Amino acid sequence: MQALATDLELLQTVLYSGAFGLVLLGLYAMASHRHLVRILLGLTLLEGGANLFLVAVGFRADAVAPIVTPGAQALPMVDPVPQALILTAIVIGVGVLALGLALTVRVFEVHGTLDVRALAQRLTQAGEATPEEPSPAPPVSVTRDAS
Amino acid sequence: MTDPLDSIIRQAQELTLLLIVVPLLAAFLLASLSRASELLGRIAGPVVLIASALMAGQLWLLVQRTGTVVVAVGGFPAPLGIVLHADPLGVVFALATALMALLLWPRGGPRVREQTLTLLLVAAGSGMALSGDLFNLYVFYEIVAVVSYGLAAGRDRGLAYVAAVRYLILGAVGSAMALIGIGLLYRATGTLNLAHMAALAPGTLDGPLGLAAFTLMVIGFGVKAELFPVNTWVPEVYATASARVSGLLAGVVSKLALVVVVRVLITVFADTSAHLVLLALGLLSVVSGELAALRANDLWRVLAYSSIGQLGLVAIAFAVPGAPGVMAGLVVALHHLVVKPALFLVAESWGGPVSQLAGAGRRSPWAALLFVILVLSLIGVPPFPGFWAKYLLLRGALGQSGLFQVAAAAVGVATVVEAAYLFRIVRLLYRADGERALASRPPAADLVPATVLASVLLVAMFSVAPLGVAVDGIARRASDVGAYVQAVFPAGVPAAFAREAP
Repeated sequence: MQALATDLELLQTVLYSGAFGLVLLGLYAMASHRHLVRILLGLTLLEGGANLFLVAVGFRADAVAPIVTPGAQALPMVDPVPQALILTAIVIGVGVLALGLALTVRVFEVHGTLDVRALAQRLTQAGEATPEEPSPAPPVSVTRDAS
Repeated sequence: MTDPLDSIIRQAQELTLLLIVVPLLAAFLLASLSRASELLGRIAGPVVLIASALMAGQLWLLVQRTGTVVVAVGGFPAPLGIVLHADPLGVVFALATALMALLLWPRGGPRVREQTLTLLLVAAGSGMALSGDLFNLYVFYEIVAVVSYGLAAGRDRGLAYVAAVRYLILGAVGSAMALIGIGLLYRATGTLNLAHMAALAPGTLDGPLGLAAFTLMVIGFGVKAELFPVNTWVPEVYATASARVSGLLAGVVSKLALVVVVRVLITVFADTSAHLVLLALGLLSVVSGELAALRANDLWRVLAYSSIGQLGLVAIAFAVPGAPGVMAGLVVALHHLVVKPALFLVAESWGGPVSQLAGAGRRSPWAALLFVILVLSLIGVPPFPGFWAKYLLLRGALGQSGLFQVAAAAVGVATVVEAAYLFRIVRLLYRADGERALASRPPAADLVPATVLASVLLVAMFSVAPLGVAVDGIARRASDVGAYVQAVFPAGVPAAFAREAP
């Protein structure tokens, strides 16, 4: 029994470190890549880490899944609230990711590149020149992968 | 049979729900309506917004008589069910959201998408102002966030897409941070209901865990509140979006995010040093925003950076503990909520390098006059309401010690810097020897709402005393946590859920 408790404690530690590892990995990916799609993938990792963290918060070592059926005997349950939360958070994450990818497609159509540094430079240049002018025509070299 | 107070409370509860439900429903019906009849589609949005504003006004009157009204949505009681609460602070921002959306209603050409997004913004904005459940606040915040990304990309120009996608990436990182912060709070207290948390939190959050949770939430909500260091999107979006969108984001969305932060700060972190986090970020926002505005060479960017500085002032004010801080923050926030959208509207046709503005004052005298009035109030020149905002802020900050004194000094310096770059533009506007003015003339469609906002400012100038009493009342009610907990749990605070000791 003692050994089981230690194992479960270890499991909890693994869950938390996994969650924070995913968050850090996502942040690192977003900071180190210049390609918009890769940055969005980094964002997905980050959100996955946040969701895993919420699951870990509700985890109980000696409990069953929080599903109550008629006639079932009352056993300690895993906290169902964080699970309900991450269902919502996952849906929101998917929606935001879809919007981000849709905007990425538009960006590529107009500018012909997905390199964020090049794109950011155009924004800054527009601030120094006249923002009333439409953005310059897309460059000739169309690259699919900027990294 | 029925007590008159009971029926008033029931009416207030219904209004609280309708403030969220009506614009939400209208947003999704708008596309079909405008397909069925062009006229119907054109008037439906403004009609709904007028109705929302009237409902919020009525709710304001009712709440003055009843105290905080609590609605358990779907009949599920707190703390497991989600509660909405109508207190003066929330109602005032719901009212402001509806009115500003009406004034900044997207116009010109087929604008169904932007109009749908604006209605969604009103629904979710009212939700942010009125919800008493932390996760529900997060969901409403996410709706507002997605709406802002859509609005930022609204102008069909290549650079707007770039600005919007960069905004989305930063915003999504912020949301993930806020979610982790909420998770930490849930781990520490075992509840998501703000009132329940307020009753359970004392003593448990004054440590690294609580501080981390608050910092993550401030960073998360701070993306919309234009707080340092998550405000890099501000100049990009405001320089590419239309004035109405910039006005909505800088005027309304940023304030709603800060209202959520200050609510959490008051109810949950009252006895901790968490307010210092907000103070530090506000201080950095003021300094970085005003210095960047001084260097900017394009009117839209000047206004964007000045908006960062002003939001920093709001954050500093809200960081001052107790009712005086809430009052100062509210005044600065409401003042900026009126002034900045009006400035964006006046400047809508004045994009590009500021040197183009030379002599524009003679070409469009009314626009220049509005600009001068708004700028004087923004800087805080005495008779204007902006003076009272900065006075309250300085009084609140000087009443505290340590970093607050530094903040007060920084506010003084920031005001000088603000005056320097804004008067530079005013001088350009009225330059007589300038070459022919290159800037185009602002159209009446932009100047009418700007005039309305400027007259609100002038009316406020002549009714400082009653407004001060009203705002003081809002601040006192908002900082009375005991009464809030009592309103949500009239029968006593339930115990925390049985949780395994970690």
